[in-house]
Amino acid sequence: MSIQIEHIRKQYGSFTALADVSLTIEGGELMALLGPSGSGKTTLLRIIAGLESPDDGSILLHGEESTQQSASTRGIGFVFQHYALFRHMTIFENVAFGLRVQSRQLRPTRQKIRERVQELLHLVQLDTYAQMYPEQLSGGQRQRVALARALAVQPKVLLLDEPFSALDAKVRKELRDWLRRIHDELHVTTVLVTHDQEEALEVADRVAILNQGKLEQIGTPQSIYDRPASPFVYNFLGNVNLFHGRLLADLSSQVREGSAQEPNGSAIGFVRPHELELSRELPGDVKAVLANIVRIHATGPQIRLELSIAGNGRPVAAELGRKQFEEMALVPGDDIFVWPQSIRLFENGEDTSLLLDQGAGI
Amino acid sequence: MSRNRAIPSSVLLRPSRLQKAGRAALVLLALLFLAGFLILPVVAVFSQAFSQGWRMYSDSIVQQDVLSALRLTCLVAAIAVPLNVVFGIAASWAITRFEFPGKSLMITMIDIPLSVSPVVAGMMYVEVFGLHGWLGPWLMEHNLHVIFAVPGIVLATVFVTCPFVARELIPFMQAQGSDEEIAAVVLGANGWNLFWRVTLPNIKWALLYGTILAASRSIGEFGAVSVVSGHIRGKTTTLPLEVEMLYNEYNFTAAFAAASLLTVAAIVTLAIKKIVEGTTGVHREIEEQEAES
Repeated sequence: MSIQIEHIRKQYGSFTALADVSLTIEGGELMALLGPSGSGKTTLLRIIAGLESPDDGSILLHGEESTQQSASTRGIGFVFQHYALFRHMTIFENVAFGLRVQSRQLRPTRQKIRERVQELLHLVQLDTYAQMYPEQLSGGQRQRVALARALAVQPKVLLLDEPFSALDAKVRKELRDWLRRIHDELHVTTVLVTHDQEEALEVADRVAILNQGKLEQIGTPQSIYDRPASPFVYNFLGNVNLFHGRLLADLSSQVREGSAQEPNGSAIGFVRPHELELSRELPGDVKAVLANIVRIHATGPQIRLELSIAGNGRPVAAELGRKQFEEMALVPGDDIFVWPQSIRLFENGEDTSLLLDQGAGI
Repeated sequence: MSRNRAIPSSVLLRPSRLQKAGRAALVLLALLFLAGFLILPVVAVFSQAFSQGWRMYSDSIVQQDVLSALRLTCLVAAIAVPLNVVFGIAASWAITRFEFPGKSLMITMIDIPLSVSPVVAGMMYVEVFGLHGWLGPWLMEHNLHVIFAVPGIVLATVFVTCPFVARELIPFMQAQGSDEEIAAVVLGANGWNLFWRVTLPNIKWALLYGTILAASRSIGEFGAVSVVSGHIRGKTTTLPLEVEMLYNEYNFTAAFAAASLLTVAAIVTLAIKKIVEGTTGVHREIEEQEAES
């Protein structure tokens, strides 16, 4: 079932949680709402669920106007950050709850409920835990119960509010993969709210990035990673070098993208660590800067270098393949030349400094 | 939810002889105080009650007036306690689950009966419902008796006991949060299912605890009831009032016999309260939840 979000606004006193957000989530899609805290992502999720009402705008579920519909009749499954399991009920009763509270006409027979609950407990691999209580389970197990409970009523939409953020890193990763498998199996339209960019990029079909109540960018994980639409998205996704400077006219020798076009205008440039080229000799055809190797992280397929630019000491991160690293035989303290293979530029009102004078190519 | 047991302080500190002596002195002091000011009076009540033998004791109790006072006390408690349970749940639900203007004023108002002297409470009702009070003439016209009648006693008792359930529930429900209730609503539960299947099971022990406190207070209330009752023997005297009247008439054995009934009631409620605390750890749960949040 598709979800259309049209011009949603929400204000809490003087704080604008959502400022005119429009977004369409296709049926069967797994969409991540990604953003820092205070970006409005959870508010948006709660509005989709019917737990909050927007000041303005509308929510259409499967093309039907649903803004005024109550949360209990929207046919949604909701998974909370802190599980919100019923503490006085067994795991079995927790999962059965949504079926037991249905009106008499809709409610399945006892036998049917039992079968359905067992089926779901099997799906979340907790068959043997049916008679236990939530407090006897680990965090990861509790969140799986919460998911089974949400799925019991066969929701048309599944909403997850930071479901893995209270769990430790290893469990978080396992559950993330497992959520993706369940989604591939059931194809329920799913909206996942998270502040963890890795989680969003890894698990979702599409990612919507929110910042200060506004939609910054929406797209597939790859398109967002490859072509961040704004400095905010670049910063938020992390793992990037940031340069301030003034645009020179003769940038033709280097690959460049982004919104900044005006020669001599102030700009911010973003370069991912793996987009930096390294060499011991000064290259002839491009402008490069000299940098000193501060530290080398050699665990993993890519070698990560912490560099310090000669002259101003600005820190820069670079990445290179293991093979190239071994050929160059780099050790901490070495001086090497660095230049960007590609750079993404955005206009910047203020700061004009640094890299220009170093001749790094911007 | 971890149930950390505190390490006994005796393991951490190896006391010197002097410290041991000081500790023993402290314990002894506390015990003496308890014995002198709490246990001795209770013993005195029973010894006075039985001073003229079991026969005299039972005769004093089965007196018409004492029995009717006992009946009235039970009746008042039977009305006041359920009213307070309903009010307590409604107020705590409103305060912990909704935002509304005047919320902090409401929280303060719930505490008024605890800070106002019960005598003043009684006088407020006389001022409102009494013959010369605001509603007095109207009540007279319709032949309704509030002051110096059972309704007044019930009203006064409700007033004094009204904070108990709410004060027990509010911190408990605040600590629990509303996540489970929201989850239930999203799963399609209506208000009825929400309350009986989720809210009530979660608050039941705190509710019972508050109810016990309210019950014991409504049985024992003297000041407020004394003002509105009019002390009509066999009609508007509750057990505490009957005790005072017997005592003022120098009928000590009967007074203490009636007092012993109140004392037994108090001991029974204390015992129930202890059992509730022990088996469920109401307060331990509250502490744990507060620690978690």
